[in-house]
Amino acid sequence: MSIINLALIVYVVASVSYIVREIWRSIPIKWISLGFLIVAFCLNLTLVLKRSIEAGHPPFSNLYESLIFYACCTAFVYIIFEFVYNFRVVGALASILAMLILLYATLQDDTIRPIMPALKSNWMLVHVVTYMLGYAAFGIAFVTSIIYLVTKPFSKKSSSDSKGIDSDKEILPRNFDKLSYKIVAFGFPFLTLGMVTGAVWAKKAWGDYWSWDPKETWSLITWLAYLVYLHTPLVLPKMKVSKSKMSVILSFWLLVSFGIVNFTFVGLNYLPSAEDSEHIYGAK
Amino acid sequence: MGSSKNKPTRVKTETVGNNEQTKVNKPGQNKKRDSNKVWDFFCSVKLAVIIILVMAVACVLGTIILQGRSFDEYTARHGYGFATFIRITQLNNVFYSYWFSVLLVLLCANLICCTIRRWRNTFLQTGFVLTHLSLVLILLGGVIKFQMGVKGGVNVYEGKSVDYFLTQKIDSMGRLDYVKKSLPFSIALDDFILEKNEPKYQIVTYVKDKDKQKVIEANVGKRQRIPGSDYRVTITDYIPDAELRQEPVNESDKPDNPAIFVKLFGSESLLAEGWLLAQANNYHDEKKRDLRLEYLWLPSQQEFDNAVNTIQNVNAKITASIPELGFFQDYSLELNKTFKLSSSDYSLRILQYVLNYGDTRPISEQPANNPAVQVEIDGPDGVEMRWIFENFPEWDKMHPAKYENVKIACSDIANAHMTRNVIRIYHAPGENQKLVYIKDKQIVETIPWELDKRYSFANNEHQLIISSYFPSFDIKQEVVKKSDQIGTPAIRVRIDGPSGKKEDWLFADSKYATWYKDNNFAMIYEPTGESVKHFISNLRIVKNNQTVMEKSIKVNDPLKCDGYVIYQSSYDPEKGSYSGLQIVKDPGIPVVYSGFGALCFGVIFIFYVKPFLRKKQKKENEVMENEYN
Ligand code: HEM
Repeated sequence: MSIINLALIVYVVASVSYIVREIWRSIPIKWISLGFLIVAFCLNLTLVLKRSIEAGHPPFSNLYESLIFYACCTAFVYIIFEFVYNFRVVGALASILAMLILLYATLQDDTIRPIMPALKSNWMLVHVVTYMLGYAAFGIAFVTSIIYLVTKPFSKKSSSDSKGIDSDKEILPRNFDKLSYKIVAFGFPFLTLGMVTGAVWAKKAWGDYWSWDPKETWSLITWLAYLVYLHTPLVLPKMKVSKSKMSVILSFWLLVSFGIVNFTFVGLNYLPSAEDSEHIYGAK
Repeated sequence: MGSSKNKPTRVKTETVGNNEQTKVNKPGQNKKRDSNKVWDFFCSVKLAVIIILVMAVACVLGTIILQGRSFDEYTARHGYGFATFIRITQLNNVFYSYWFSVLLVLLCANLICCTIRRWRNTFLQTGFVLTHLSLVLILLGGVIKFQMGVKGGVNVYEGKSVDYFLTQKIDSMGRLDYVKKSLPFSIALDDFILEKNEPKYQIVTYVKDKDKQKVIEANVGKRQRIPGSDYRVTITDYIPDAELRQEPVNESDKPDNPAIFVKLFGSESLLAEGWLLAQANNYHDEKKRDLRLEYLWLPSQQEFDNAVNTIQNVNAKITASIPELGFFQDYSLELNKTFKLSSSDYSLRILQYVLNYGDTRPISEQPANNPAVQVEIDGPDGVEMRWIFENFPEWDKMHPAKYENVKIACSDIANAHMTRNVIRIYHAPGENQKLVYIKDKQIVETIPWELDKRYSFANNEHQLIISSYFPSFDIKQEVVKKSDQIGTPAIRVRIDGPSGKKEDWLFADSKYATWYKDNNFAMIYEPTGESVKHFISNLRIVKNNQTVMEKSIKVNDPLKCDGYVIYQSSYDPEKGSYSGLQIVKDPGIPVVYSGFGALCFGVIFIFYVKPFLRKKQKKENEVMENEYN
């Protein structure tokens, strides 16, 4: 079996074991599910490394390569978060997310092609790695927002949950709004770095750090979406919006923003302006 | 960032004993400002969120609506009404429109105001101040670029130089216009180097009934299943630089397929050499010299004797038949002779023949593309004239004729025309071999021939050597390795499928697919497309006839001179004879880059350094708080 199929299966297994762990809480299963996810991550990483060795360049030159790297980053960022925070059910959806990204990669053309001269740059390396880590974090925040919104109607009125984010205690889904915020706060600097290094690279390769190319414009839109998310908590209380309503609004906004992330990543071909773009995969 | 409820707590934790800090939060410290509604408005996060959202929407519009097209194109796409709307609202040029500029000015004002208002001279505020001011810097840099920068391009030919470049401008009607800008120096292109990647190859399989293509791995030895089908493919061999050698061989001494190798000279120089096969390619035409070489194999002594003494061409003939009478007869192609069609009432006369019907040139210059014969059929109802085409034997069936019952076909007409000089090589079993030289339809010479001897005709004008004789000629095909470099790679594949196995060589330069026996599965081995590795321009900057700078530029590695940056951007796609340079001058770069630096540092500070410091402080102060950041 190919590595990619194996990775897909182990992601699913990891996801199932996370669900089992949610129902039947015991310490061994906690480690088993995390173990599965780490195995899936390692397989995914092997895939990325194997690909870059075979292709002879960092694996971001086309959609297939970017997607397998994106899946890998998603697993990686989740694993980091699981070590920092104590949450369970998120893992089930996070590994499904990584699995779906990888599955989407299998639909792409995986022919190794020589890379064009403009892609031969260290700025590009930093640019893609930071972007992918940012995107991965937003993927996890997307998952926590979903769980928050789904479990919200069932969770009892907030008692004293101020200790909810304590790292050695388990975080309850009703506090996932705050968790999402922390995850976005982790990802946003990566997104910013990705954008800045992208601009510097564009200046070196194309002579202009910003040319309102659709890809550039949409990464700005993504950035602005998360900027709104980060500033809204300063506004809404002043507008007499209750705390719980604000959490719902913000969680919804994270779902929309992650949609924008994915559109920026793979959806731009559908834009009428795609044909003019220098940067969209497959547009030229 | 916290909700406003938490502010007092934060101030306490952040600035224990900082007097300045407490002042800010006391109302009335800045009476004039605080009472000023406008100031409040410009400081508010609400404005910030609104501006950011509107900008995001503007960006979306700027990618949904094509930018910078002509008014006509918008009319064609969206209709006149919407096109006018687009023009008035400047949606055809969102990012350079007046309203977008207003948005950016507002953003700047907001950023500056909120930074001033929140200014607290504490270390923890570093990130906040840096990020907000960095955006102002970046926007300022953008304005400088817009006002003072130029960007354009120019193509330079190898060995030439330029001292100008062209910038694009869109006029008020949305038309593209070029403006020439002169440079304070000239750029000489000494050399342009275009390096291509080593070509890569792929194996593509195709299953016809599923209409599915798949690229398979090129690993030798691995048996690969073609998904969704019963075919299995094994690459059994690979040669990086292969050649298909075809070697003539002699299979036996029995004259199954007699062939000779001849060399034809015109006085001294070699005109032609090659194999003549009695049963396939038995002649060679030297059109320029009006000379024809023929190899005629005759299976018996008697036929040999007959043939050698006539100049009649044995091959060209017409066939007449009258099916209802069971009549069928071949006639040699002799002009103006009347043949009686045996017991019938018909007779036949050959009027003329051509090698290329409709060709007005003399017959000796015509290629044998469409040989045709014109005949006259004399019968009970008078005379019928008819053209007969060798390549279209059904012609007379499809065209009405007087004597439809008389069918006529012709063959080997190309052989009928006799060039001025003909050398016939007669050959029969048992050392019977003669050369006959015919000039102007007269036999001039008849000589016996032997291998490897030189014969000359017409005062040495034509010379001939017959150097080999293969009674049973065959061609052995062999794939050989030409070199170890990648040249024309070839792979040998074994296909297993419902009709057994098939093995074959696939050459990367072949345009044709190799089909499996059932005609449902095909494979092709092909290059994945040529691609450019890099292109380099060796540039020299010349000022007052003096070279002031030299550099090889390539993509990602530009040249900087006098505030201009010269980028390698394209090249002549056909001949690679010119280099496309992009020339940019942007005095705003230092400002923008400081903004970039401040932004990166700022966000890292806010989201990584500050929480870390906070946590430490929290632990020290043992204050637990519940807030977002
Ligand atoms: C990289 C981008 C940005 C980051 C990281 C950022 C971060 C922050 C942070 C951390 C605060 C809260 C400060 C605190 O409560 O201590 C804040 C407040 C604020 N930001 Fe931003 N910001 C960014 C961009 C912007 C932009 C583009 C605007 C809009 C014009 C803006 C306008 C504001 C305003 C008005 C406040 C409120 C200040 C106040 O409460 O008085 N920010 N920002």
